Amino acid sequence: MEHPFLNTPPLPEDGGAMTAENLKTALAGESQASQKYLAFADVADNEGYPNVARLFRAVAYAESTHARNHLSVLNGIGSTADNLKAAWGGETFEIDEMYPAYAAVAKMQGNESAQTSICYALKAEQDHQAIYDSTLRGVEGKKDLDATPVFVCPVCGHTELGRAPDDCPRCGTNAAYFKKF
Amino acid sequence: MDEAFEKRLPKPSDLKAMTEASLKAAFAGESQAAEKYLVFAEQAEDEGFPNVAKLFRAISFAETRHARNHLRTMKGIHATADNLRVACEGESFEIDEMYPAYQEIAKVQGNPQAGRSVRYALKAEMDHKWMYAQSRETVLAGKDIEDKRVSVCLICGHTVIGDLPDKCPVCAAAKEYYRTF
Repeated sequence: MEHPFLNTPPLPEDGGAMTAENLKTALAGESQASQKYLAFADVADNEGYPNVARLFRAVAYAESTHARNHLSVLNGIGSTADNLKAAWGGETFEIDEMYPAYAAVAKMQGNESAQTSICYALKAEQDHQAIYDSTLRGVEGKKDLDATPVFVCPVCGHTELGRAPDDCPRCGTNAAYFKKF
Repeated sequence: MDEAFEKRLPKPSDLKAMTEASLKAAFAGESQAAEKYLVFAEQAEDEGFPNVAKLFRAISFAETRHARNHLRTMKGIHATADNLRVACEGESFEIDEMYPAYQEIAKVQGNPQAGRSVRYALKAEMDHKWMYAQSRETVLAGKDIEDKRVSVCLICGHTVIGDLPDKCPVCAAAKEYYRTF
């Protein structure tokens, strides 16, 4: 299926700086809306509104298409090797700078719940960084990743290739809850 | 299942401003990473790396869980009637202010690709706002909305409840381009 937005020419270099900034803001907005609506869909299911839940999930998907369109116009979609490098770079920033700084602030301000949320993310990003790194080496040699399952802890996002652990080593969630890809 | 999750995440407490700012930024980062990885997964599939595609989808899910944890810690998840109000307000801002401003700037700066990406989003947000407003009325009366399928154009995000149009009224994509929920 052809995506008219994939591989469109990059933004013009002259006079497009504000437009690029706007698209970046819009990408952030659409991405956050999509995640909120997915969370709201789960609440609606729990409260016995399955059709409202479906509406939230459908609209979350619509916001994802907008995010993809903005990202494409921003020339943010490269080859898989480039995408893996970009993904590795994002994880590295979060591990080296963002989450340690946020963890320190949450600790100083004594917010236990924020510390947990930040710590779970930081630990999982370390998994992701390592996995992206080894995957990139394969892809640069034109080799796909091995056909092994990927398991993700639905509480803390801990990610493992191969087999699920008995309990999540980070947050203790039982492996039965892990989502398999 | 919910109970198993609650034990792993401390109850959200009142947030000081800097901790809240940290979580907001982290929520924005995780949401965007989740969206980017889904797009990167499609790209990996197109290039013949199905297992890399699967990895991107799995890690996207992990980032979704982080986004969810941060949002929960910021007390951003409410009862469904309130979630619908929040969703409606977000769509209103995008319709009334954000996207019209971005559209003007894209026009002034002569960037038709950006203009199209913005226009597609703006059109869909108008549908979403109306759907959320209608749904909120129904939920406030203690009822679920009607059991009807919701379909989304995967090119522009046009969203329709019930029967599909022959082609997308916004971007003219054929019916086959709709994803149904």
